[in-house]
Order: sequence, then structure tokens, then C-alpha cells
Amino acid sequence: MYTLARILIVTAGIIACGGVILSAQWRDVVTKGVPMTPAGTPNFKAPAPKLADGTPDLSGLWDAEKRPCNEAASVRGCLDSLTGIPIAFGNISATVSNTGPASKDLLPMQPWAEALVKQRRDNASRDLSITRCLPLSSPQAWSTFWIKKIIQTPDSLTILDEYMSQYRQIFLDGRTLPKDPEPSFKGYSVGRWEGETLVVETIGFKDELWLDVSGHPLTDQARTIERIRRVNYGNLEVEITVDDPKAYTKPWTVTIKLGLAINTDLLEYICNEDEKSVQHMVGPGAK
Amino acid sequence: MRRNSIMAIWLFLLLASMSARAHHSFSSVFDGKKPITLTGPVTKIEWANPHIHLYIDAKDETGKVINWAIEMGSPNMLIRLGWTRHAMKIGDVVTIEGHLARDGSKLANARTVLLAGKKMFAVPSEGSGR
Repeated sequence: MYTLARILIVTAGIIACGGVILSAQWRDVVTKGVPMTPAGTPNFKAPAPKLADGTPDLSGLWDAEKRPCNEAASVRGCLDSLTGIPIAFGNISATVSNTGPASKDLLPMQPWAEALVKQRRDNASRDLSITRCLPLSSPQAWSTFWIKKIIQTPDSLTILDEYMSQYRQIFLDGRTLPKDPEPSFKGYSVGRWEGETLVVETIGFKDELWLDVSGHPLTDQARTIERIRRVNYGNLEVEITVDDPKAYTKPWTVTIKLGLAINTDLLEYICNEDEKSVQHMVGPGAK
Repeated sequence: MRRNSIMAIWLFLLLASMSARAHHSFSSVFDGKKPITLTGPVTKIEWANPHIHLYIDAKDETGKVINWAIEMGSPNMLIRLGWTRHAMKIGDVVTIEGHLARDGSKLANARTVLLAGKKMFAVPSEGSGR
């Protein structure tokens, strides 16, 4: 039922192409309407689909781009890293992975934020939102292991996240940002189209959220701009600018790439259903 | 520069461990320097998030039977790699290869599970995912 060849096929699909073929699950699911090449394989480079009103259709299941594991460089080998690691999962600012140290690993942090990152680091990231089964901040959600499902209508874009069955609403109905939104993990988002790019502005975050495993914070003073573009049928790019003067000395921008995941569904992941790991976590700085 | 290097090394170590299970870093719970192989019949299966837990009765070096908790990946992760919740049942004799918990409890993770002659990976990268 479970073979190394099957794993490698899945892995190759995840790492090698923009799109992702995920067919190894409890039942065979075939995504309808996928353009095919003359050779009969999914054509992820086909043009991006559009809604009836002509705007690009971002709908679909999206999986963060991953970096393959390097057997020689990995501390514990690649057995546990068969499908790679989302590139911004560890550090939103750089293409960090377990293939080796990154050369660019620090954001322009205010002193207190730098101290916070150190504290989180020394605590082995035990308070990471994912470990504590808390929702992901909206920038962090783009680059995790969990698949996201975008559902688009002319008036809104909804992102369902496999992690904790979360939702995020982006309003496209022309409304403006509220002056004093209720702080939330996802923030309050409005979007508008600039050509083929959806520009999403978000405010109203809770304070000291996590952006990545490194512990880079996002504060209640943050404003993010996400420029979301479906490059072609199988590829999505999200350019994120974080303007958060409380935590960072200047705005910074990163780009996260995702591939369309076909032949699969969202599979429930309720983190706190049977959480029993935290009680076994020992000692600050466990490495 | 030195600070950057230290940070980079820390990230390298953290990601190498975090890759195993996105819910928590491997090294915050398990000790990579303490590998263990356990064989015994399955006494209980908790097919639940964020980690599947398997319980097995395994004999120690004195012959005493100890009930071990074995942590695996999440259901959605293993399902996407071909596992089903019916793959194991109570009484199946399995051999797991993994690492001991740091806190000294009778807990280990499973990197592989040998069941009926087939070795299956139990903690593929996502900890979450696929």
C-alpha cells in the first residue's frame, strides 16, 4: 500500500514543477478541467483561467513551493524530509531550508523585536503558533506545509486553510478598511485589481503574532500589502510587503510562490484534537 | 557577521528538526542522539491530530514488558502517502525505528514502522502535510 516509489513520485511532483500532483491518498480524486499537454500530462504552464467578468480566477488548491532536502547536509538525513520544506517556513525573509545555512536571515528589526526573536529562539520556538495550535497569521499562512483553498467570487476571495480549518476573508466589494478593526490573527483585508494582480491591504492584526518558525513578529501596528498574481494555470505568486514600524525599522518585501495542487482535497487537521506534545517539551534552548 | 552566522546555524538545526513534524520541532521533544528500535504487539492506536499515537508492548533488556507510546505524523500527512487508518490493528506486531523522548518518559517517535514485512515511513516531512 505504501511504497518508496510512490513517495518519490509525490515528492517529485511537489518539488519539480509549479503544479503539484497529489494522488496518493485514501481514494483517487481527479481534479476536473485541468489543461493537458499533447503528452497527456497536466499543463501547468497553460494560461491562468478567468472569471466571467474577465478578472483572473485565483481559485484552486495551492501548495507552498518547497526546497528539497540535501542528504549530505541534513543533520538527521532526508528520511523525514522527503517532500521538502516550504521555502519561507523557517524564515520569511530568506530562502532558508535544511540544505544549508542562509546568508540572509535577519529582518530590519527594532531592538525589542530582535530580543523577542532571540527569546523565542532560545525557547526552541515552543510557543510557535503551530505548536500551540493557534491560528496562523495571514502572511505566515502562505508558506506552511498545509494546503490552502482559494474560493473567488466577484465580491470576495476566501482562503480556506487545511491547518485548523481556518478561513480568511478578503473583501473585493469596494469597501474601505475600517478605522478600528477588531484585532485578529488574519487581520481585516480589502482587495482591488490592478490589471492581472490582486492587491490586498490588511490591518487589524493581534499583537506579537508569528511570521515564521524563527519567531519574527507581526504586531498590532502592522499593515501588509499582498500582490497576488496567478502567473499561469499552475503557479501563484504572492509578493508581501510588511510595514510594521513597531517591530521593524523599515518596510520589507518578500515573494512566496505556490503551486496548484491537483488530484487531492483539503484533509482535516485540527491541531488540538489530541495535542500531547507540549507536556514532553524539555528545557529552554533544547536543540 | 558573527551574529548572522550563529543565527544561520541555529536556523539550520531548527529547520532540520522542524522538518520532521511541523507541529513542533523534533528536538524540543526527542533526542536525535538516542535512537531506539522497539518491537511488540500494538495495544492501542490513536489516529488523531496533530500526531497519530501508537502504543506497543515491548520487552526491555531484562525481559520486562513496557508499554511505549509512539508518536507518528498527522493523519492527513500519512493518508497522502498511502496510509489508511486500517493499516494497523490491535495485536499486529510492529517494529519501529525512532528516537527517545528527552524527558525520560516511555515515549519515542517513529521514523519507520515495519509491519508484515513492509517498512513504512511514519514521519514524512510535513508534520502537517503531504
